[in-house]
Amino acid sequence: MLDTVSAGSAHNATQLGWTGVVRFLHFTPRAFLPMRAAEQINLVAGRGIEGDRYMIGNEEGFYSHKPEEGRQVTLFELETLVALKRDAGIELRPEEHRRNVTVEGVPLNHLVGRRFWLGETLLEATRLSVPCRHIEEITGKAIFDPLINRSGLNCKILQGGLVKVGDIVRNAA
Amino acid sequence: MKVRPITTVKTVVADIEEAGRGIKLFTLVDPDRWELPPFKPGAHIDLHLPNGLVRTYSLCNEPADNTRYVIAVKREAEGRGGSRVLHDEVRPGDVIGVSLPRGGMTPDARIARYVFVAGGIGVTPFLSMARHLERTEQAGFTLHLIVREEVPLAAHLGALIEEGRVVVHRTSRTGRPDLAALVGEGGSDTLVACCGPEGMTDDFERQTAAWPAANVHVERFVAPPPVIDPDAKPFTLLLARSGMEIEVRAGQTMLAALQEGGVDVATSCCGGICGACKVGWIEGKPVHRDRILSPYERERYLMVCVVGSDADRLVLDL
Repeated sequence: MLDTVSAGSAHNATQLGWTGVVRFLHFTPRAFLPMRAAEQINLVAGRGIEGDRYMIGNEEGFYSHKPEEGRQVTLFELETLVALKRDAGIELRPEEHRRNVTVEGVPLNHLVGRRFWLGETLLEATRLSVPCRHIEEITGKAIFDPLINRSGLNCKILQGGLVKVGDIVRNAA
Repeated sequence: MKVRPITTVKTVVADIEEAGRGIKLFTLVDPDRWELPPFKPGAHIDLHLPNGLVRTYSLCNEPADNTRYVIAVKREAEGRGGSRVLHDEVRPGDVIGVSLPRGGMTPDARIARYVFVAGGIGVTPFLSMARHLERTEQAGFTLHLIVREEVPLAAHLGALIEEGRVVVHRTSRTGRPDLAALVGEGGSDTLVACCGPEGMTDDFERQTAAWPAANVHVERFVAPPPVIDPDAKPFTLLLARSGMEIEVRAGQTMLAALQEGGVDVATSCCGGICGACKVGWIEGKPVHRDRILSPYERERYLMVCVVGSDADRLVLDL
């Protein structure tokens, strides 16, 4: 089954069925500041995470040269952190990838354009995240190349609510 | 309202403390007291001052103290203006954007002993190093502080002086000490570092010329004179994001050409040592002349104040 997923299409992956779990939650109020771990975060539909930089919008500026809707919450695979250590010898902590939700057992790369449940919240995956030099600059770790094609997922929040560490992640198809 | 990219960490001035004749300590914090980006012992930051100046200062506090950036600034009446602005105009509550911390000492388990040589206010980077080494007990250290008479930041150095960890050399009484004697013979488990006036750092480099490069560290705050390459040829810059093309004349710096073209690039030292003007490059053959980028960083970044080009065209990530 794993062979089928890794070599297969998004259609295959979603048809195979999967259930994941939330392992870590992080947020930060402003650009560049370290991410802070939380046991739960509050997702607000159509806006972002309570207290997080992409929702607060209280600064005269933006964090990306291409600000866009659909980056209200970001996810990252725990499996990627394991692979980064194994394949590149780089230990990246869950707060260092600067995505909000670290999940295990979720095929993020296959979910673009699809909806899924993150605990009690409903998300729609908008696009894959791309590695950025900014994170290399912040962490001092050469993670740009190893994270190509596995840098996480950007999502819109369709139905808000609390997300807790340990919550189940499942397909909404 | 024009929306601009956020390129600095937003801090507010929480405290300003008199720290000796002509010296003030500034404590910068996040507006909500959130943790600040981490830094290594001896690291420095650029302050983007209210009047548009960008100036580099060493962080004095212990890196484990992660909610503050503390810098010591000596007022230089004849300087380039940064210290005057900080001393005369900046008040508690003012907002100051700062760069991410750069540089500093990477902990190295092979180093058993550190010898620091500081001239006057050049002691600042070694304050955070000394505090880090005291807390972690990872290695021993001696800080030789060379001053004319008065010890800068005396209140902050008092305990270290009493413990004998800081040795004060007053040139008005004993003359200038022999740097070779201070740093000793060295060895692979010793790291020596120097920060101070240009003459002192030059002398320090001569005295340690035979040491392994990895065991010698120099912190500079005044950039060396710009490099003039008599064989320099004109070249074209292509700015990948905007599509702009800018011609760099023979002998002209890339920074000057960018500024002539109306491109806003942060600068500070203009001599390849502070890193404020670091930008990414995508294609071409940069001739790096900075003193701070690592070989890995040079594959991705260049410093526009001193870099040259070995090809007709250079593509920047701007």
